[in-house]
Amino acid sequence: MAGSNADTKTPETTHAGALEITDLAFAYPGQREPLLEIASFACGAGEQVLLAGRSGAGKSTLLNLVMGLLDPTRGSVRVAGRDLHRLSGAARDRFRGRHIGVVFQSFHLLHGFTALENVMMPLAFSDIPAKEHEARARALLEELDIPRAGALPENLSIGQQQRVAVARALACEPELVLADEPTASLDPENGIIAMDLVQRVCRQHGAALLCVSHDPSLVDRFDRSLNLAELNTASPAAHTQTA
Amino acid sequence: MPITDTTLIARSLKARLFSTVTTVAVVGLGVALMLVLLGMRDAGEKAFSRGKGNMHILVSGAQQDPMVTVLNSVFYSGSPRNYLFITKRDELLANNPLAWAIPTQLGDSYRGLPVMATTPEFFTLFEPADGAPWRFAQGEPFDAPFEIVIGAEAARIRGLEMGDRVSLTHGTPKRGEEAHVHEEFVYEVVGVLEPTATLHDRAVFSDLTSSWILHAHDRRLNESGPDISLTTEADLIDEDRKITGLYARVLTRPGMALSAIYQSAFNTLRQDPTITVAAPDQEISKLFTIVGNIDQIIVALAATVLVVGAITVMLVLYQAMEQRRRQIAVLRVLGCTKPRIFGLVVTESAIIGAAGAGVGILLSVLGARVVADIMYRRLGLVIEPGFEPRIVLGMAVGTIALASVAGIIPAVSAYRTSVIRNLRPAA
Repeated sequence: MAGSNADTKTPETTHAGALEITDLAFAYPGQREPLLEIASFACGAGEQVLLAGRSGAGKSTLLNLVMGLLDPTRGSVRVAGRDLHRLSGAARDRFRGRHIGVVFQSFHLLHGFTALENVMMPLAFSDIPAKEHEARARALLEELDIPRAGALPENLSIGQQQRVAVARALACEPELVLADEPTASLDPENGIIAMDLVQRVCRQHGAALLCVSHDPSLVDRFDRSLNLAELNTASPAAHTQTA
Repeated sequence: MPITDTTLIARSLKARLFSTVTTVAVVGLGVALMLVLLGMRDAGEKAFSRGKGNMHILVSGAQQDPMVTVLNSVFYSGSPRNYLFITKRDELLANNPLAWAIPTQLGDSYRGLPVMATTPEFFTLFEPADGAPWRFAQGEPFDAPFEIVIGAEAARIRGLEMGDRVSLTHGTPKRGEEAHVHEEFVYEVVGVLEPTATLHDRAVFSDLTSSWILHAHDRRLNESGPDISLTTEADLIDEDRKITGLYARVLTRPGMALSAIYQSAFNTLRQDPTITVAAPDQEISKLFTIVGNIDQIIVALAATVLVVGAITVMLVLYQAMEQRRRQIAVLRVLGCTKPRIFGLVVTESAIIGAAGAGVGILLSVLGARVVADIMYRRLGLVIEPGFEPRIVLGMAVGTIALASVAGIIPAVSAYRTSVIRNLRPAA
């Protein structure tokens, strides 16, 4: 539940797996059959897992459940040892910002804010002391080879924009990073560069990575690759209702 | 520098600078209008009250509207229609508890400025602002025919100085009319007054006897043709000795503004059918009751401008929320809570209100100065707009509160922004 320790790393949560899904079921309002039914799924600390699946299989829905943007019909989603869905709205938002990093397919950098400010943004909503924000963000930008910290996103190349997005996802040192189709908007060559970057940085920072993609070329890059269809025991008819 | 709510709000305002500035301007205009009207209302009444000075009662010719006679005789707005003979003054002084009754005659002008013919007592007994007697910048009151004293503003705008010699005009010619200048009679400037912050500053004061001589000359021309000698005091007959008003003061104890006998004296005078009696105080109050009704309409209009400003704030922010839904969704994913989003939007709205209030207060100070300047230059009315700190503060707080309320609808819209729907990749 919402509490002052909701967004802090307690000893209990530090040693837990990055993500644990247990007996999860989800149906959109008005749906009789669940879209997702996952008996059990876990992503260990620092583990890198690829979750593949065709379009409409429920990959984005699963990510939204893991981010706490959707509430399951049944079951639990634990991130860094905390059951996300037992947190109140505001506590869940704070928890998400602090413990889950997200790399969007289209980056979603904030316009009107510099690269540095974009990276500092999740820190602003966290319990990390304000005096550390800029140093952390600058270190990440340097590590990801973004020399123009003061540049606006629209003045950066696509590759630089993606690096800023990755730096932002890791700013709070989250236990779990979610990557939603990170190569979908890139050509194959840049797709490889982008994946190299995301995976390397997650590894360096000890964050688990759950990457959702329908790109079969990524399978061999991960510690573990799963097809959502193997995990999801819900009736396929439900998928066609939402696809 | 860490990112704070201030950073987020400042960037949001900067991102749509044009609409921010426009909205602030609209709110500022409403605030300025309200403040100028509220500030000028009392100042206007004070300015009008000042001109009647220490006079209690204004007496003028029979069957006139008391308010019109006050406007004529104290504010130089037109000329009284009917007249009295000077003998009436002696009669009134003899039969009523009056401390003094100073004769005045209006109707002539000097290059568009009103000329008041009166007696030297006007400068010794009458005080243009109660408790503040006349002061001469140069010279002294006239004490002989064909001498004039010039009001401070009249001297300034007509460039008159001590010793200047001028001729007066019979009546006040309307635009396009030929002035009937009495060039045969030359007046000498013997005194220039200090400013009094009243309409008297725009007047020229002449000796009453010379005014009678001037008009008697017209009478004699009509009676005997153009070959008459120049009229002198010896040519005056009783019918020439006309006045248009009497500035009168009821007997009072020294240092007292009014006495208990004032009302009975006023009532007694009113029973005389040959005169019109007006209490300038009452007439000014009546005037401001009428003006007050118009004033309320203007204040209501200003309030409407302010409400329109608040609605503009709401529409601009609502539109901005529609354009920023993706940004709000990203902020939510990055850890920004819904209540914080709500607070950011309401604060942004309140800041627009605060900026509008600030601009409005500045505009009102400048606006009031401009209006006061125009009033002084055009009408000679000295208006000192008073901005009571209580009203200014109330206005600022009220505007911020109104803008905050206006921000609620956009804030609710931002609060309810669907993260999932707005983060879907563009098709």
